[in-house]
Amino acid sequence: MDEFIPQFVGFARLVVLAIVPFVLASQGTMLGGRTGLFNVAQEGIMLLGASLGFLGAYLYGGLGYGVLLAVFSGAIAGLALAYFTTTLKMNQFVIGLAIFFFTMGLSTLFYKFVVGVTLQPPLIPTLQDLPIPVLSQIPVLGEIFFNQNSMVYFAILFSLFLYYLLYKTSFGLKLRAVGENPKAADSLGVNVDRMRYFTAIVGGMLMGLAGAYLPMVYTGTFTAGMVQGRGWIAIALTFFGGWSPGLILLGSLFFAGVEVLALRIQVGGFGIPYQFLLMLPYLATILTMIFAFKWIKAPAFLGQNYDREKRSLS
Amino acid sequence: MTKSIVLQMEGIRKVFGTVVALDDVNLQLNSKEIHGLLGGNGAGKTTLMNVLFGLYKPNAGKVELHGEKVEIRSPKDAINNEIGMVHQHFLQVDSYTVTENIVLGTELKSWPTLKLEVEADQIRALSEKFGLAVDPDTIMSDLPIGVRQKVEILKALYRGVEVLILDEPTTNLTPQEVDDLFESLRVMVDEGLSIVFITHKLREVMSVCDKITVLRDGQNVLTEDRENVTEKSLVKAMVGEGLNVEESVVFSSVVSGAETRWGASEFGEPVVKVEGLHAQNEDSIVVIKDCTFEVRQKEILGVAGVAGNGQQALAECLMGVCPIHQGSVIVDGMNVSETETRDLLEGGVAYIPQDRLLDGFLPTASVAHNLILGYQRNQAYSNKGFLDWKIIFQSARQQIDEYTIMTPSAGDVAANLSGGNIQRVMLARAFAHPSSFLIAHNPTRGLDIRSIDFVYKKLFERKEAGAATLLISEDLDELFRMCDRIATIYSGEIVGILEKGEFDKYEIGRMMSGVKAND
Repeated sequence: MDEFIPQFVGFARLVVLAIVPFVLASQGTMLGGRTGLFNVAQEGIMLLGASLGFLGAYLYGGLGYGVLLAVFSGAIAGLALAYFTTTLKMNQFVIGLAIFFFTMGLSTLFYKFVVGVTLQPPLIPTLQDLPIPVLSQIPVLGEIFFNQNSMVYFAILFSLFLYYLLYKTSFGLKLRAVGENPKAADSLGVNVDRMRYFTAIVGGMLMGLAGAYLPMVYTGTFTAGMVQGRGWIAIALTFFGGWSPGLILLGSLFFAGVEVLALRIQVGGFGIPYQFLLMLPYLATILTMIFAFKWIKAPAFLGQNYDREKRSLS
Repeated sequence: MTKSIVLQMEGIRKVFGTVVALDDVNLQLNSKEIHGLLGGNGAGKTTLMNVLFGLYKPNAGKVELHGEKVEIRSPKDAINNEIGMVHQHFLQVDSYTVTENIVLGTELKSWPTLKLEVEADQIRALSEKFGLAVDPDTIMSDLPIGVRQKVEILKALYRGVEVLILDEPTTNLTPQEVDDLFESLRVMVDEGLSIVFITHKLREVMSVCDKITVLRDGQNVLTEDRENVTEKSLVKAMVGEGLNVEESVVFSSVVSGAETRWGASEFGEPVVKVEGLHAQNEDSIVVIKDCTFEVRQKEILGVAGVAGNGQQALAECLMGVCPIHQGSVIVDGMNVSETETRDLLEGGVAYIPQDRLLDGFLPTASVAHNLILGYQRNQAYSNKGFLDWKIIFQSARQQIDEYTIMTPSAGDVAANLSGGNIQRVMLARAFAHPSSFLIAHNPTRGLDIRSIDFVYKKLFERKEAGAATLLISEDLDELFRMCDRIATIYSGEIVGILEKGEFDKYEIGRMMSGVKAND
């Protein structure tokens, strides 16, 4: 029993540390989806964010520069998605996948361009923990929630802010209406296109930031493909969380938990080939989706472009 | 008393691709006036109003409000100019409450909290004033269609409109609800509003409008005060020279005052026997409850009801598409629950589905393909599994002629057809193959008057020839005109069946809202 509590606290603390990329990428997806814009380029945008996040910090000697660069690249990707789908009315999934491949390629290209091929990969200092005075002294909870790095606090607070924005402000009422019935929103003077641009760009920024978290907290360096499917899992998490910021935050604990568990078992060495353990998050994704799909309610116009002058066929 | 001009639309032209939807159309609206905008489907009524509301950008023409030229580029501009529109297909967010739907897009004092009590009270006050009873706190999707319409109107009133456009507002209402709506409109006009009332129903313009403009094929035909027109003159204006009004079924009551020409005949043996039919949908919700009825030879049985009360499920049960849960359906000696739909088709059941785009045709296939869809295994068309294209095209060309389907050739892609012509394909397919029983679900929806008349005549021809018909329709006038008996359906239940001679729109209206015939 004496062993258990510190073990549990250690595990729980790692889980909370690991929710950040899931939460940020997923809230970004949710935000776009709530206006009907379904971004499927998370994985690529996160890779680009990871690459530029690392390079910014490496070149200019400060994590802040990396964060700025990652967020900026995400905004550009979001802008591109919005332009091609909202202004040019092209298929959202095709454009999303194109952006995925493009940003994925860019992520390694930039790294090679700046760093080149090295024997020893260059490292950046990782993000320091920032214990919150008083709160971090609370037994158990303090260690789990209030002795983390600043990005953890940001991810949680931003999720709460999004909940407030979407459900408690008139701006949120308009935003959600665009995803539920863009024509209704349009007929009441809500600017559908502007709303979609806004959510696509902010969503992309969150995804870029989610990617930057990986080199800045986990590894200190960038490696090709280091997002390891977290972007795709973020889509599943968004559905799992019913496209609602609060539930996404809760749901991220589950996906982060499985990820940490897989690592733990790997280190503990239970004689299971580690490749199987690496499958765990994806297996969990499939299983939860099978059950979650029964009760989730996605925005009614998710993935559909809106054209004011298009006449319905009937 | 001279009335001031509120709105003036001049020389409006709108082109979609190569189709001229509006050609130099004018409209003048006086203050405190209900202005009827009358015309058949495709006449351009809704297009004209969508231009006014900023949904469509006109290719030419100008709009003046109180004598001043205004540019309306979006619905937002329209709202700022105090123009409101109630669309035929409601533009509502199903998951929002009534209040949220109404206040969406307005400046809210409670923008940082979204506590909408003040706004809800305002809405209550408005709904009381104009006789539009609705509870502001209900979730939209829980409301029946009639109430949802009131929400649409309140949405406009809440924004303080001066000009209110109503697009076919009576489509889904019971006769009682229509009366209530007309009363509310009078209150609005007394309060200083001016109303444009889009409709294709003569009786409505005659009973509620002060002034009437008739459009045909995207052009002005007539603008007159109501006192100066008769139903007959309006009919002539609506249809032009292309239709012989005296001979038409649609206007039979207007022209001759009687509907006897296509009147009753001796009915034959029952063709369809439905007993204690129960059915559930995929979510295990009961959609058809204890339905029992017969359709005889030479009989047209109508099914009245507000849309979404189980009409679709009923039609699909009879076609063997929707599984039958309890009870029995016998069509022409075939037990439907034990018969494949394809055998029903071959055995003489024809079906004109309500949603012709979704259930009725293949947009990328050719017109000829579509004309034999479902009948492709017939001996006439196929030989040991191979289709005989020569015969198929021959009969397709024949049907294109007979049903005057406007298409460059039988091999042309069906998606190029207009709505009316798609419906003609549906009809040709249903009528060209011998059948003893026809299910027609809203067969005239979205058609122009000429096509509607064509459908009616075909239905009567079949009736004469001895076939049984189930006509499901949301248009009471259509049912009164066509049917020998009318059954009214409410939440999947047949509430009552009336014989010809005892048809009464208020009686049926009561049944449409769930009141049993003998209550």
